[in-house]
Amino acid sequence: MSKRQIAMVMDLNKCIGCQTCTMACKTQWTNRNGRDYMYWNNVETAPGKGYPRGWQESGGGFNDEGELKEGRIPSLTEDYGKPLEINYEEALGIGPDGPSTPWTGVTRPHLKPEDEKFTTPNWDEDEGEGEFPNSFFFYLPRICNHCSNPACLASCPRKAIYKREEDGIVLVDQSRCRGYQHCVAGCPYKKVYFNPMFSRSEKCIFCYPRVEQGKPPACAKQCPGRIRFVGYLDDEASPVYALVKKWKVAVPLRPDFGTQPNVYYVPPLSPPKYDEQGRLTDKPRIPIKLLTGLFGPETPRILETLKIEREKKKRGEPSELMDTLIAYRHDEMFTITDEEEQGF
Amino acid sequence: MKKKNKQNNSKINRRKFLKVSGICGLGLGIPTSALGKALQVDDPLRSYPDTKWEDFYRDELVKTEGTSTGFAFHCSNCQGNCAWQVSSNDGVAQREEQLAQYPQISWDIPDANPRGCNKGAIHSQAMYEKDRLLYPLKRSGERGEGKWEKISWDQALTEISERIVDTLQEKGPGGLMIHTGTGILSQGRRAGPLRLGSLLGSIRIYPSSAVGDMFTGATLALGVPNVGHSLDAWFEMDYILLWGINPNVTRIPDAHYLWEGKYNGAKIVTIAPDYNPTSIHADQWVPVQPGSDSYLAMSMVSVVFEEGLYKKDFIREQTDLPFLVRLDNRKLLRENDMKADGSDEKFFFWDLNSDSIKQAPGTRGSGRDTLRLGKIKPALEGEYNVTGKDGETIAVTTVFELARAESSRFTPEAVRDKTGIHPDVVRDITREFSKAEKAGLTVGFSIHKYAWGILTCWAQAMLCALTGHTADTGGLDTESQWSLGGIGPLTSPKPARFESGFLSEWMSGKMWESMRSHYDNDREFKERAGLGVEDVIDLAQKSIDKKWLTHYEEPEARIIFADNLFRRNKSSGHYKREVLGKTKLYVNVNYRMDSSAEFADYVLPAISHYEGWDIRGEVGYHRFVNLTVPPADLKPVGETKSEWEICSLLSDKIQDIAKARGIPKIEDPEFTVTKKTKVGKKEVSKTTPVMRDLDTLVSDFTMKGKVKNDKDVVKWLIENVPAFKPWKFEDAVERGFIVLNKDAGFTSPLYATKPYHSFETQVYLRRPYPTLSGRQQFYIDQEVFLKLGATVPTARRSLHPSKFPLKFYTPHTRWGIHSTWRTSKRMLKMQRGAPHVSICPEDAKKRGIKDGDKIRVLNDIGEFIAMAKVNPNVQAGTLMMDHAWEPHQFEKREGLNSAVAGVLSPLELAGGWGHLKFGAQWDGNQIALESAVEVEKA
Repeated sequence: MSKRQIAMVMDLNKCIGCQTCTMACKTQWTNRNGRDYMYWNNVETAPGKGYPRGWQESGGGFNDEGELKEGRIPSLTEDYGKPLEINYEEALGIGPDGPSTPWTGVTRPHLKPEDEKFTTPNWDEDEGEGEFPNSFFFYLPRICNHCSNPACLASCPRKAIYKREEDGIVLVDQSRCRGYQHCVAGCPYKKVYFNPMFSRSEKCIFCYPRVEQGKPPACAKQCPGRIRFVGYLDDEASPVYALVKKWKVAVPLRPDFGTQPNVYYVPPLSPPKYDEQGRLTDKPRIPIKLLTGLFGPETPRILETLKIEREKKKRGEPSELMDTLIAYRHDEMFTITDEEEQGF
Repeated sequence: MKKKNKQNNSKINRRKFLKVSGICGLGLGIPTSALGKALQVDDPLRSYPDTKWEDFYRDELVKTEGTSTGFAFHCSNCQGNCAWQVSSNDGVAQREEQLAQYPQISWDIPDANPRGCNKGAIHSQAMYEKDRLLYPLKRSGERGEGKWEKISWDQALTEISERIVDTLQEKGPGGLMIHTGTGILSQGRRAGPLRLGSLLGSIRIYPSSAVGDMFTGATLALGVPNVGHSLDAWFEMDYILLWGINPNVTRIPDAHYLWEGKYNGAKIVTIAPDYNPTSIHADQWVPVQPGSDSYLAMSMVSVVFEEGLYKKDFIREQTDLPFLVRLDNRKLLRENDMKADGSDEKFFFWDLNSDSIKQAPGTRGSGRDTLRLGKIKPALEGEYNVTGKDGETIAVTTVFELARAESSRFTPEAVRDKTGIHPDVVRDITREFSKAEKAGLTVGFSIHKYAWGILTCWAQAMLCALTGHTADTGGLDTESQWSLGGIGPLTSPKPARFESGFLSEWMSGKMWESMRSHYDNDREFKERAGLGVEDVIDLAQKSIDKKWLTHYEEPEARIIFADNLFRRNKSSGHYKREVLGKTKLYVNVNYRMDSSAEFADYVLPAISHYEGWDIRGEVGYHRFVNLTVPPADLKPVGETKSEWEICSLLSDKIQDIAKARGIPKIEDPEFTVTKKTKVGKKEVSKTTPVMRDLDTLVSDFTMKGKVKNDKDVVKWLIENVPAFKPWKFEDAVERGFIVLNKDAGFTSPLYATKPYHSFETQVYLRRPYPTLSGRQQFYIDQEVFLKLGATVPTARRSLHPSKFPLKFYTPHTRWGIHSTWRTSKRMLKMQRGAPHVSICPEDAKKRGIKDGDKIRVLNDIGEFIAMAKVNPNVQAGTLMMDHAWEPHQFEKREGLNSAVAGVLSPLELAGGWGHLKFGAQWDGNQIALESAVEVEKA
């Protein structure tokens, strides 16, 4: 076991699906060097196909006996989606050094992806399921869970994946990885990606170079919804500790995979359904079965706790849990160092 | 002497910077000693023997942190205004990250950090994309053919200026339009084109109106369209109605205040046609039929009246509901009804204490600048008799009586078939809103893009007024803006031809042709609008003739900055043909080749957000004024120039050419200037036409050399805007932002430690509102309102013609700020890469359409081709498309506005009455959401 474990909590009651975190990670790490198709951080609409497509049905992880389960390697074209190339020069007629008209003789093409068939990581954005007016969806941001029992680590025949002692961040050693991709198949969250340019596998590194400077990961710092808390699980002063250990309202995704994730979620409430006549009922839209399938059997208790604590605030009574989730100060959401944060 | 334009020797060409921005080659930074070395690893779960390789990612991080940093914001029409830090490496922008340094204003309220969104987060990538304009272009084929010639700046500026002077000579100043669209909304970067246009007397259309962003209903009630609060105020509310607004998508940096407010105990209700991304976190979503919002608003008002949920004392003092109205002609009782030479701006109520008529203080003509009633207790109900100026008896009643009677036509039961909402739902939310202590009603920009948005918002304002919600108790929130005085001398040194936005686009594009076509069932139109189609078209001309709204003759030369006019204007195909047909010179100044630049005669490459100095502070969502301070080593992208420099160089050329042609000045009798001089002991007034001084244009433009570049503009603004004091330029440059002072509020002080709410001076100091009545106004007897029977808030049916089955609406996308960033591959990759339309499963099945199918959306105005997105959140009978796709992204290059007909809201054509006088506070909307379509597999 690593000496300390850094963890992240994401409050799904605040995620607005803006994908700023996705773009933050993209420009921090994956806009280059063979990583273009990878989204180390992605946000998917749930219920939905997810990214990569069908990841929840792609195997990997452990069975109840603790044995690695078979998994599949997602397809670049069908499941991840190839990087999108747009025909700017062809459609707009301007090149880097001067105008160009590559369409002489035929109708000028419109601006479009260069591939005829393609898929993208957010294809079913804002769709979800259900029937109007009782349809439902929420946003599910995902990064590598930096598990305490990582399936990727267990899968690697070269033991080239390890968990850092100082903070529990799980890394693929880029100097020893040979690109066999057992880890890609083994991760049940499909959060390890093969890099075709260098024939190595890469994944979310929890922005350890930033963490080492006391800065939170880019996805967390840049989230305008202020949904992400980052801190050490043993730090009793951290909101991460409060949410995971004390209040126990933040739980891992798909705990049944057996990998002991260290990214936790506060499951989402949802507005009530309407009956056939158009009157409001008191039943939430998101089926509880969907939520317990994703977040485990504690989900109903958690949702009830959120409601009870919120009622306290309505009555003008204090609530430590609500104050923790409100997070009055952005910089206090990230308890990575013991040092004073710079600023005002 | 003509100055030679210096070529920038260090310009980056696209091949070079594409390579550098990819940080290629870094991937090979693996210590070679580690490769192939056999390593003994025991238990990688516990420890790992050699972690030296970890420098691999550390080195990459250093590279993204750059060799130089600066500050930036993205000045486009999102109104967010967020502070970013930008890093660059060897002159190439590398990455951006939110500055996240705004101070917390109160321990009780979450701070504003980090702000920023998905679009701002990738500008460093988009600014070097292949659609970037790098050099001036002159078309060498037909307009829009896509055939260009690369020319030098000198040639471009010379040829353009020759033609500008031609126009000034032949047509006068009114022949030229210099328009800056909503692609640039910052005080810094707008300054150049505004100043040049002002000196030359050019036409400028009102951008807010042209894009349909005017909250006309708020102006009716409150005198100004931009009212409400800073968005941190959401946190303190008990009840929030989000009506026709989708903050999770369109208020990304501030949406967190809603969900924090919800945890803090607020109840949040969304009202929208589809289960949108904001509704998912609300306590309740009300699935209103698109375009029926005026019915829903009036049904809520009817419940307030019916159940007595109104606050009598508040409305007696703060609204015109007690004002007396003549029963014979439905006009407000005025002093000139009762006195021969009486005022038409003095109004009356019936005082219950003295049982007599009393003049209302605080109205425009009252001479008393207060709403304090003293001993007067104005009656809300009843009918009374007063004596007219000829001794006749005039029967009168109160606005309250008339408003209540009108609202009783729109009970929740009566309007259910229009709105689709169960009466119990309406009654419950009305009671909740009324009884909540701090209840806010935030209205989105979608509402006024329906023809009756003006009525919806007026009724929403009345709902808030009746229940006493104004200032810190919440109330109507459209979009708060700050008062940044002091800018006039920079942007408007001389009068410019400022004209109506929506009406000018209507005239330029001859949009009545598509209106006649789409709404050809005149009986149906007349039933809903109260006027026939031809009546509305005639009314538009009347509005111009009577100068209710200002519209000048069509210009023949258009210099367009940051406006995608051929994307956003309705009946886009018709509009484009009309405008191009009558435009002799069309210059587009832009940073990318968008669907409007494609049709220009000349395209001039401009800077984008990180490359020049800038400042922005009018956005009322928060109190921070952001700066753009380019990283010191950032190299210009291609041959791009700042807007200030472009305008300065044009001034240069125009002055030289005018001199060569012997035209030092042009008289502009459209505007006059009056000088008072003393002749002996007498003061003599002399009125002369304004002169356009072409011989001193350069000196005038640069303020005699004081403001030479974009950096000087920022300095000037910091020195001259009162709301920016006491900050100094140096402080601002060091911090990246400054904080507004207490003078920044229009109708309330901006307190240092509290959110901002409008109208505190009205509610607490009893100063008049900027309306004719001096109060929140719910009676308007302007002739159009009288004719349409809309003197009090009322409801009207949406205009979607029944001949097509699907109501087409286009909410603001998450993936662009209008067309800015819309075609970035980073953004496109996060959707479906190409335009798509949301259709409900039932409507799709009926037409044999599956998700991903190519479909044709069509009506009698036009058609476009897109991909089907089958979406359970969308109502049957509607078609929803997130907006602002570039027309050149569609097959046949026909965008979504091809199938949107031109149409006008007749009430928005009114003017010449009280506070409804054309200007920044009163102008109408280009309507976007009243078209119906069919859809079929393509």
